[in-house]
Parts: sequence; C-alpha cells; structure tokens
Amino acid sequence: MDFELTSEQRDIQKAAREFIQGEYDKEKILEWEQTHTFPKEIWKKAAKLGFIGIHYPEEYGGQGYGVFENILIVEEFCRKDSGVGVALSLADFSSEVVLRFGTPEQKKKYLIPVAKGEFISGGAYTEPDHGSDITTMSTTALKQGDSFVINGTKTFITNGSLADFFIVLCQTDPNAKPPYRGQCTIIVEKGAKGLDATEIMPKMGIRMTSTAELSLSEVRVPLTHLLGEENKGFYQVLEFFDESRIEIAAQALGIAQGAFDRALDYAKQREQFGKKLVDFQITQHKLADMATKIETARLLTYKAAWNYDLKRIDPKLTSMAKMFAGRTAVEVADEAIQIFGGYGYITEYEVERFYRDAKITEIYEGTKEIQKNTIASALIGKLK
Amino acid sequence: MNIIVCIKRVPETADADVIIGKSGKDIDKSGLAFDLNEWDSYAIEEAILLKEKLGGTVTVLSLGGEDSNESLRKCLAMGADDAIRLTDPAFEGSDGGVIAKILAGAIQKIPYDLVLTGTQAEDDGYGQVGVVLAELLGIPHAALVNRLEAQDKKVTIHRELEGGLEEVFEIDLPAVLTIQTGINEPRYVSIMGIRKVAKKEIKTFGTSDLNLKAEDVGLSGSDIQLEKIFLPPVGEGAEMLEGKPEEIASKVFDILKDKGGLA
Amino acid sequence: MKEIIVLAEHRRGELRDVTWEMLSKGRQLAEGMGAEIGVALLGKGVGQLAEALKPKAHRVLLIEDDRLEVYNSETYEKVLTQLITERKPFLTLIGHTAMGMDFAPGLAAHLKMPLATDCIGIDAAGETLSLTRQLYGGKVNATVSFLKKGPHMVTVRSGAFPVVEKELLPGELVKLPSALTDEGLAKRFLQYVEAAVGEVDITQADILVSIGRGIKEADNIPMVKEFADAIGGTLSCSRPVVDKKWLPKDRQVGTSGKTVKPKVYIAIGISGAFQHIAGMKGAGTVIAINKDPKAPIFSAAQYGIVADLFKIVPILKDKVKELKQK
Repeated sequence: MDFELTSEQRDIQKAAREFIQGEYDKEKILEWEQTHTFPKEIWKKAAKLGFIGIHYPEEYGGQGYGVFENILIVEEFCRKDSGVGVALSLADFSSEVVLRFGTPEQKKKYLIPVAKGEFISGGAYTEPDHGSDITTMSTTALKQGDSFVINGTKTFITNGSLADFFIVLCQTDPNAKPPYRGQCTIIVEKGAKGLDATEIMPKMGIRMTSTAELSLSEVRVPLTHLLGEENKGFYQVLEFFDESRIEIAAQALGIAQGAFDRALDYAKQREQFGKKLVDFQITQHKLADMATKIETARLLTYKAAWNYDLKRIDPKLTSMAKMFAGRTAVEVADEAIQIFGGYGYITEYEVERFYRDAKITEIYEGTKEIQKNTIASALIGKLK
Repeated sequence: MNIIVCIKRVPETADADVIIGKSGKDIDKSGLAFDLNEWDSYAIEEAILLKEKLGGTVTVLSLGGEDSNESLRKCLAMGADDAIRLTDPAFEGSDGGVIAKILAGAIQKIPYDLVLTGTQAEDDGYGQVGVVLAELLGIPHAALVNRLEAQDKKVTIHRELEGGLEEVFEIDLPAVLTIQTGINEPRYVSIMGIRKVAKKEIKTFGTSDLNLKAEDVGLSGSDIQLEKIFLPPVGEGAEMLEGKPEEIASKVFDILKDKGGLA
Repeated sequence: MKEIIVLAEHRRGELRDVTWEMLSKGRQLAEGMGAEIGVALLGKGVGQLAEALKPKAHRVLLIEDDRLEVYNSETYEKVLTQLITERKPFLTLIGHTAMGMDFAPGLAAHLKMPLATDCIGIDAAGETLSLTRQLYGGKVNATVSFLKKGPHMVTVRSGAFPVVEKELLPGELVKLPSALTDEGLAKRFLQYVEAAVGEVDITQADILVSIGRGIKEADNIPMVKEFADAIGGTLSCSRPVVDKKWLPKDRQVGTSGKTVKPKVYIAIGISGAFQHIAGMKGAGTVIAINKDPKAPIFSAAQYGIVADLFKIVPILKDKVKELKQK
C-alpha cells in the first residue's frame, strides 16, 4: 500500500499545472464568464498537448492512461480556474460511452477528433420530466427501415449548443417492463435534421460550459448509430456514471482546492485590527477545517479512480466520492468567501465564481440525493 | 548537431516566504515547490529548437540526488533524447568550480558539438559553472547569450550587455554557451512527451565513472564554502502610505504634484 | 609590496561605474592590510582612461594592443593570465558584469585561483577574507569563505560598494607588454547592436509607471497604462515583463535595460531585484506598490503601499482624474 503518486503521475500533474498556469488570464476569464463563452483557444492547445482524451487508448487518439491520470488533470485545471477547468474537463463529456461500448469504427470516427480538439461531445440523458431519474425515457427512438426516428426533449444538456455529436438515451421499446430494459444509447450528430438546441442562460455557474435544451423532432439516424447492444442503454449510462462521477468529484476537489489557495493567500496578506487574518485563531481553525475536508475528498476521489482503473467498479465508493467532494467544494468555497469578507462577494476576487461553480457538482451527474440512494442501496442491499 | 545541456533543479522562492533552516547554512526547503532552474528552461528549449532545425541529439546532465530526475524527465519530455544524472555522496558540498569539473568529466564521455547551460541558477547565483566548464574542456565560450544562430562548425551569438546593448560574436564549435532568459519561449510539457519519458532510463554516473578522485570533489575539492546565511538587513525603507484606498490615492496625488510637477 | 589589482572595465571609450566602486573598496582593503592598489587597464588608445584612473591607484598597469580594442574573453584571459602570474597580486577584483561574468570564472580556473563571484561585501581579518553574497534572488544573504590560500579572485556586484572620495594617490603609469600574438581566435567580435529604439524613450520621462512580474498577465497592462496616462507618465517595466514579451525591450529598466532618472518612479508589482534597482535608484522619488510588505523594492522607495495592485491602481487612476479636475 502506498498513497504516493508514481513519478509519471506527478509529471502529468505538474505538466497540467504549468499549462493552466501559463494559459490563465484573469481578465479574459472574467470576460468569458460574463459572456458565456467556451475557452476555445485553451481547449485546442490542451488537446494538442494530449490533455484531452488522455484516458483513451492510443489507437483512438488518446494517451493510453486511465481515469486516475485524467482526474489529476481535471483537478489541476479546476484548481487554477473553476470555470475554465469545468469547461475543459467536460469537452469530452460522455465520449466514454463510445469508448466503452462503441464499435472500432465508431471509436475511430468520434474519439480521435475529440482527442485532437476538433470535436466536442455531449450526452443527452436528462429529460424535463425526470431529472436525475433515468429509469423512464419519454424520448423515443423507433426503427423505421434502416433508421431510428427519434422524438423527444432533453434538458440541461452539457455542451448542448457546442457538441459535434451527442449520445442520446432513448426508449426504443415503449412496452418494456420495467421501462429501463427497453432503452438504447444512439449517436446523433450536430446538424441532424430536426435536432435543435436552445441555450439555457443565464445560469448560476459553469458559464463557460454550454447547457442547453435539445429538441429532437423526427430526427433520423442510421441504425449503425446504435451504441453497443440493444436495450442495454440504461445499464451503459449507469456504468458511464461510475466513471463520470469520479471526474465530477475531481472537478469539485479542484474547485475546493482553488478556493482554499485563494483564501489562504488572502488571509496571509489581509490585516484587520492590526493583525494579519492568519494570526486570528478563528481563521486558523477555518483553514484547518477546509484543508481537512479537501484532503478527505481527495482520498475518496483518488481511491475511486484507482479502483476504477483496476476494474474494481464500486458505485458506492464513486457516489461517496462525488457526494463528499461536491459538498466539500460548496463548503470550502463558502468559507473562502467568508474569509475574504466583502471582497469575496465581488467578481474580481474570484472566490464567488468558485462558489457558483462548486454548486453544480452537487447537482449534475446525479444529485447528492441520488448518490445517497446509490450508497444506501449498496449498504442495505437491493431496495426494490 | 549534438548538444549537451546542463541543468539544475531548484526551489521556487520568488513568491514564497523564506525561512532560514536549522543548519543556518541553507533555507528551510520543506513546503517549497521545486522546478527546473528558470535559465535552464531557456537553455533546454534553445537546444531542442536547434535539434528540430538541424537534427542531432540533445543530452541533459544534472548533478544531484534522485529528486533531480524530475527536472531531467521534464527536459526529456520537452524533447531531449537522453538524460544522465551525476550523483555520488562525495559530491556533497561541491562549489561551482568542482561542479564544472564533475560535468566536464561526464561531457568528455559523450560526443558533442555544443554545450548549453543557464547563465546562472536561481538559488545560489554563482554564474560560474558554464564558463569554467569551457576552460576545463579547452573550448571557446560565451556567457549571457540571448540570441543564437548556428552555421556549419560555428555559431553567431549575441551577448546581452548592460543598458540594452548587445555584442555579437562568431564562435567556433565545439563551444559552451550560457543562456540568458528571454532568448525563446520554453514550451509546455505534453502528455505525449511524458509517455515517451516513462520508458526512458536515466543513467547515473558517480566519481569512479568520471575518473575523479573523492578528494577532488565535494568540500575537499572546493575553493570556497558557505559559512552561514542570514536575512538581509532592512534598509531605511519607505514611508508606508496607509488608510483606505481613496485616502492612499489622495496622498499619491499630493506626492505626484509635489515631486513630479503634475499640473 | 603586497598588491590588490582591480580590473578597469570600459566600453566604447568610457569607464564603467563598477571600476570606481572596486577601486574604492580595493583601496579600503589595501589600507587595512598595508598593501597597495593597482588598476589594470587593457585596451587600444586608452591613454585618457589611464589618466583618469591615476589618482585612484598607486599604479595603472596599462596594456595596449590593437587586438584589445574591444573586449573578448579570449584575449582578456591571455593578457590577464600573464599579468597576474607575474605580479602575483594578493587579490584581484573584477566586476560581476556582463564582461566579468563572461571571463572571470575561466581566468580563475585557468590560474587555479580560488574565486568568489557576485560579492556584495568583502571583509578582511588580516589576510583572511570573508565575503557576503546573496542567495535565492536576494531573499537571504550568505557569508562565504575561501578554503584555499590566496591569491584570490573576487567578482563584485555593480552598485554594491559606494565610491568614497579620498586623497589622491600617485598613480604611476606602468606600461606592460601584451601577451597576444597573431594566432587566430576561436571567438571573434563582430559588432555591437543597440536594442531597437521604439517610439518612446523612457530615459527622458519625468514620470515613469513601471510594472513587474506582479502584473500577472499581458491583458492587465492596459489598466496600468490608463493610470500612467492619467498622470502624464510613461510605461516602463522590469525584466520578467520583457522576457514574456509583453512589452518591448526598450521599456525595460535595470542592469540589462535602461538606467532611468525620472522625477517620480512608480514601481507596481515589482519585487525589486538588485538588477532592477540598479536601473532606477537615480529617480527623484520612488513610490512602490507591492502586496508583499517584505519586498526589497520598499528599501529602495521613499513611499510604499502594501496592496493588491489590481485593487489599488484603478482607484489611483480615478482619484487622480477627479483631483486633477478640481
């Protein structure tokens, strides 16, 4: 047992840190955040350096590393800037469904451009009526000749206005009992006739990431766009969540660490009543609590990623990591604002952005309540 | 063109609070981040640029413990071909002259056309190793190089002088050049680079590999030694303007009016 | 008679300040140990410089040779090897300058003479020298001693020693033969190049607003520029800003940039490395803004503001505009 990163992992972490440090430009970031702009230039450069799709095999444009190395990058990016970090970490969102279940042709067609920084991917699971509950889909995909005809509405779709392709979870067998045994994941490309994206804005945080409502009206895609086996869509998405939730935990971890870094810096400089903030015991205790939570979140998140790469899939641990890291991000960013006082409330001082960006990590990819369900079900045994 | 680059891993102190360590001979380095010496990052970039243009190989040398592998790996990931770490307990306490001697011992075992070093190190700043190295190798050199063009068997270089002036020299190869910051823009490390490095072995050479005697290296071979370190005496210092930002701004305005002839 | 030799540094017909500083320090050391001070002058047609040096030394050791018209480490090393071997000075002082850094370590190695570089303090107890240097970019000082017996060589940081006026010395002119032959050089001087002159000459400005590493991003420069415009100041910078190519070289203040003497110098986000301070210490009034109260720049300033520059500079700009209108 050794909790240390390997030298290779340290190199990756350092490379990510130096890259995002070099690209970080506060003025630009504040502008992108205000104008809901995706950091395209940084994303292109990051892809060129191999940071995007690092966990794909080489033959699909990746670097052959695992989820662990991927989340080291996500953590570093979000630590330097929560908005840019989340946007970059989600640029390949859901592409893992193609990676895990796609045919070699599908992988070549969709993953290589993602890793090169040419394609942005998206996953369309959530529906207006169901939220985090994906057991029933109102969106249907019915076979007609050599095509699926898809109809329905998806909401809160990450990269909705930007993605070059989506993995769409559809009900293919409306009569299946329970309904989730009649679902499929199907690739829908940008520009498909009948596919429309409406950006949902303004929103609280992650403003450099697109979030949109997708409407699919008589969208025809070839049957070859089916991912994996028929009627396994629900299970594929759950498996994908085992992976993606670790990545969201890493976002939360990075956001927490970034908010903490700023608070510590500020507390060392800021004087009140003739003393530095760090000289007050109350500040010291706050910092100690924040750091302890972050370290705990890191241990959970790293362990979840480590297990995943060893193929020990443990949804309970993944949910614990996501839930705890998300909560940590919100609490630490909250406390960071408190340390900044009035300045913390001002955009220029950044911690308010970290706070707004932190909140989503408790919501997307399964709310914290969903995570608790998963944890409890693993503890108690099947609840149904 | 075969190029050797000598590098050093140093603590990053520019933005850190520096505390004197228990020995009184060095700062407390716990909690400090370490990185490739800033000058060396320009040297390695320059070597890789030359290699990309002219072909050949880049070999990186560093003197130090296993920690130094981190900086050697960084250079490999940036595009260097080989890395050698010079390490021996006997090297402890070596001054700049001895470090040059150790490096020269290693360089003599490798075919080369050009040796690059940083002009100086961020930590001890002796600014000595590269020039001594040239003397020991018996080849020409130039320090503070901020522009470099290679031709066949010679290089044209600019040396950065005081006051924005530069002097241009032509130097026969092989030669040692000490590189000044700003000569190029050091690249980011890519994941492809890191992957390549993971399979690379970093060789190590010790005293016996370099045909050196233990008494000629380390403190016993050195000309100078560090006795103690201390915090610099605080000068008279400035009158600190305090108060609300607006009050400070008014004071600055008054000073400007008083001293600068602000209309 | 024991002798300390100072190497005169000159370029394009002018002696450089470090020469006077070394002569002043060298003389103090010589007096303390009953030694004399000599100054070595290498060049071509440098009689006038020799005259200027005479009152500051017991003797001027003049070596003239056409091949010494410009500095070259190869010729300097050859000539000084002969000089030092013959005269056996107790101590040789050379500037830790672009010139000294280029040849002194090689010369010392060639002579197998112990060398301490970039010293800001030299103390002698009898014949034992104790040197002060800076480490970690000036964050700490170090005391360094020689492990081996002299003669020794020390390179001296520009500006580290004050020039103290003392009674004149005899300054005997000693002409020495050059050790150079027509043998070809492996390093050949081609020319001097001036840094490109931009549209702005910072050496002529009355008010300079200077930025350093603390500015963080190129995109933050306009904010400071607006403040500079509001007070009729000119924008200048420290080295890291030029290294990152955010401002052209002709805006750089410091040893490797310009030496400036404005009425008011406002240093924003500049920590105050000695190379920078050397370039602006002639300013009438210095106002420093830095978030680190321990930044060395505050020692070189008359007024200091400990603040986040991103916060204070816009307020300064607005306030100045407001007060100017009144």
